[in-house]
Amino acid sequence: MTQATLSPGTATTGAKGHGGPDVRARRTARRKQTLHWIAVHALGIAAAAFFVLPFVFVLLTAVMSDNQALTRDLWPHHWQWSNFRTVWDTPGFLTWWRNTLVYAVAGTVLTVVSSLPVAYALAKFRFRGRNLVMVLVISTMMLPPQVVIIPMYLFWTKQMGMDGSLWPLIIPLAFGDAFTIFLLRQFLLTIPKEYTEAAKVDGCGELRTLLTVIVPMIKPALAAVALFQFFYCWNDYFGPQIYASSNPGAWTLSYGLESFKGAHHTNWNLTMAATVLVMAPVIVVFFFAQKAFIEGVTLTGVKG
Amino acid sequence: MSRLTKAAAAVAATAAISLLASACTGQSSGSANDDASKDVTITFWHGWTAPNELKAINDNVARFEKAHPNIHVKVQGNITDDKINQALRAGGSKAPDVVSSFTTDNVGQFCSSGSMADLAPFLAKDKIDPAATFPKPMLEYTQFDGKRCTLPLLGDAYGLYYNKKAFAAAGITAPPKTLSEFKADAVKLTKTKGDSYSQLGYMPNFHGYESTTTHLAAQWGVKYFDANGKSQVAKDPGFTAMFNWQQDMVKSLGGFGKLEKYRNTFGDEFGAKNPLQTGQVAMGIDGEWRLGMAKDAGMNDLGVAPFPVPDDQASTYGKGYLSGTIIGIANTSSKKNAAWELVKFMTTDTDAVVSFANAIHNVPSTLAALKSPKLDADPGFKTFLDIAQNPDSTTTPPSINGGAYQLTLQDFGYAYESGKSKNLSSGLQGVDTQVDKDIAQAK
Amino acid sequence: MTAAVHPLLKAKRRKSALRTLAFLSPWIIGFSVFFVYPLVSTVYFSFMKYNGINAPTWVGGKNWSYVFTDYPFFWPALRNTLWLVVVMVTLRVLFGLGIGLLITKIKTGAGFFRTAFYLPYLAPPVAATMAFVFLLNPGTGPVNHLLGDVGLPTPGWFTDPHWSKPALTMLAVWGIGDLMVIFMAALLDVPKEQYEAAELDGAGPWHRFRFVTLPNISPIVMFAVVTGVIQTMQYYTQPLVAGKVASGVIGNSGQQVEPGYPDKSTLTLPQLVYERGFQRFDYGSACVIALVLFVLSMAFTALLLRRNGFLSAED
Repeated sequence: MTQATLSPGTATTGAKGHGGPDVRARRTARRKQTLHWIAVHALGIAAAAFFVLPFVFVLLTAVMSDNQALTRDLWPHHWQWSNFRTVWDTPGFLTWWRNTLVYAVAGTVLTVVSSLPVAYALAKFRFRGRNLVMVLVISTMMLPPQVVIIPMYLFWTKQMGMDGSLWPLIIPLAFGDAFTIFLLRQFLLTIPKEYTEAAKVDGCGELRTLLTVIVPMIKPALAAVALFQFFYCWNDYFGPQIYASSNPGAWTLSYGLESFKGAHHTNWNLTMAATVLVMAPVIVVFFFAQKAFIEGVTLTGVKG
Repeated sequence: MSRLTKAAAAVAATAAISLLASACTGQSSGSANDDASKDVTITFWHGWTAPNELKAINDNVARFEKAHPNIHVKVQGNITDDKINQALRAGGSKAPDVVSSFTTDNVGQFCSSGSMADLAPFLAKDKIDPAATFPKPMLEYTQFDGKRCTLPLLGDAYGLYYNKKAFAAAGITAPPKTLSEFKADAVKLTKTKGDSYSQLGYMPNFHGYESTTTHLAAQWGVKYFDANGKSQVAKDPGFTAMFNWQQDMVKSLGGFGKLEKYRNTFGDEFGAKNPLQTGQVAMGIDGEWRLGMAKDAGMNDLGVAPFPVPDDQASTYGKGYLSGTIIGIANTSSKKNAAWELVKFMTTDTDAVVSFANAIHNVPSTLAALKSPKLDADPGFKTFLDIAQNPDSTTTPPSINGGAYQLTLQDFGYAYESGKSKNLSSGLQGVDTQVDKDIAQAK
Repeated sequence: MTAAVHPLLKAKRRKSALRTLAFLSPWIIGFSVFFVYPLVSTVYFSFMKYNGINAPTWVGGKNWSYVFTDYPFFWPALRNTLWLVVVMVTLRVLFGLGIGLLITKIKTGAGFFRTAFYLPYLAPPVAATMAFVFLLNPGTGPVNHLLGDVGLPTPGWFTDPHWSKPALTMLAVWGIGDLMVIFMAALLDVPKEQYEAAELDGAGPWHRFRFVTLPNISPIVMFAVVTGVIQTMQYYTQPLVAGKVASGVIGNSGQQVEPGYPDKSTLTLPQLVYERGFQRFDYGSACVIALVLFVLSMAFTALLLRRNGFLSAED
């Protein structure tokens, strides 16, 4: 009996109807599946190495001594955690951190608050010219800030006297952001109109409907657009380069990071430690909000 | 068109017209009628970042404030030229009154655009004769088209750095004085290893950090512009000679590709692994700051000398490329008289110039300071002081569009050395055409 | 149609128009002040000589002819963009699709893999670029150490004009997370029955991919390609920071930053706007380049918009 199960090839001749060919097929299928599993995961690990190794190198370099940072040894001789402290204590680093946070938080709040009613109108109101507005929103979404930077720069510095501050970057966000409007509208389209109509029957105005009925329903989408905007502001380099650069008191992390390398005459260990400190918050936020984030990215491309 | 879009278009048009109209106003320039004896705070911008440099500049400012108790200086470091240019246009309360820049490249832009104030009236008022106060090349690179809008604040001189140990090992007793001696030494000092080098005599490729077209061309005493302000790199024989010399060096030392591959193993220029400091190259052209940096990196075998000169100009040995930090007053400043007091102190007060020069290892920028006994007596440093005072030393002249013409020449240099551009004379003519076109666009 | 509209209905319509206007007002103001006005103004300045100090003066087409015929950085920047569009966009889409396929097949540790693949996308561009310049440092970076150890050639990466764009491409492929997620979602949306039907017909894996997967996700591939092209035309931070950091020149060291280091190989159009406008203070020619950027971006956006999907609203 044991012999039979171990070698189904011989067993089938004697014991017909014992499920022989069936078992064999299932086994080869299982073996194939195992091979497939191994192949897929091996590929996955190789790909993961490509994605993760740069982070690992950066982290390891960040805790090396200055002398070791340029040698062939990839593993720190002794872990110099004080590098982070050194970076943190660099004059200005804390200011850059604070400025970035102000820009990102204020920018995110203003963007979401100002974009939501616009997105709602585009998704739920019927009015002539709606498609035109939509086309314009998408068009501006696809344009880089460089297209209108010269007049904007002259406007903010010469008319408003705001050179050397982040206000020229924050204030416009109080007037809607094309990408956020677009994303929220795509999400709002998925909400059946029965909900809004029910609210209207109950005597709610549109604004109240939006705030009391819709907002609670689209919390994930709001979280997603808020995260996108937060990251956009956090990572923005061009904006601070134009408006904040002439005043180190207004620098952001992205802008300051580059000057950091200049000031430290390429101490790669410290530069990498600074890099880690700039990346860290983004990664932490991501781990807390992974789901909302990935849903948001999906929304940009799929729900067309 | 719906009513809505019409309304939007109307709003947009109105906004555009009203804003456009106001965007066209010119800049109002500040005046120099402030009282410099009253209590006042001025803002001073500079680009220094290293802790010892910051300390030196702050000490300098503190001395000034002690001498002028009514003038308070708000110092702001780590500022680049782009930002200075930007702030000089924007003006406003946060804008600087006094600015300094590490490069002389933008003096033309500063002076011709009027973004920096003309200093001639201030100099006249205080009876300072620039020609009797500052070395001649420094005087030249701080003015443009007869307009003096900046003054020199310490200078940089370029010379030859050589590895004394490598020299001894190769039996070379003295640094080369002419370019043919230099070539012989460079070949002698080059040791190949496999398809690379264990030691290279000299890195002739233009990306070899400071071995740039402009720094080297100074050894031929070149003139970039003719009397009419037209570019003349094709006409001035010095440029052709320099390119031919560089080609010859590249060939003699192993060819462009091999050298470029070796260059890729160098550490960063301003890092501890600079190839001069690691011994990867035995000779190189660099500025006076390398002395201090090499010492800080524990490299004590570097000797310095003036960079060699072409054989037919052997009598001019001792010259080199000069550059420097410049300082001036923002035209938007409303406290120009107080600002001038700071500029005057920093650029003409002998003690201030000497102590600042000693602190950051730069070349002092007044004739009196260069002769001062208090100046750092380090023999290496002395070499650079002599280069700075050599009458044949030259600099890159200021131009209306800043250093754009130097970049154009450099770009051609890269194309020529890599073989992308084959014909030297037509290439240099191309540089002339391009430079003239860029200047015409900037005018 | 009757011309007479009931007054009540008329009032209601007016009210609803006002309401729409109120909801749209942030965008209307933002669009007018921060887009229409500056765009009109950009066109205006493109015909002026203006350096931010002296009043602007009319120069006709001078700026335009300068940019197209005499400006030495314009055509190299366009050529670089073309290279990046062909190589970088293609590789990003292929790689994103591959990783998307892979992640749908992974059964064990899917969460870990998804996070690992996604994370680089989030790395702040300046930080990520500096990290890559360090990793790919020709002489002292770990990548060339490893390549050298196994006897492979050690390229100059960000310091070699032939390798700088491949190095940027590696950086861009590293940050593939956004495309991966989009493709992953699209792949999961492909109806299972179609695969089963294909399998019954005896289709192998390649045929299933070619005749089931691809037709189903082709709109998303199209979306990825077109947005990729648009993003590439606007590529700014990474090439700028890579060039600056790799050249070893940091603005305030007294040396000139060499635009597009090495040998103009990393120049892109937005960098030219900065170079003309904020380094040479020639606002006129900066505006010309801004308009070129505008026209190119709009052309590809129009391609996107021709797929009506974007506009379909609930009716």
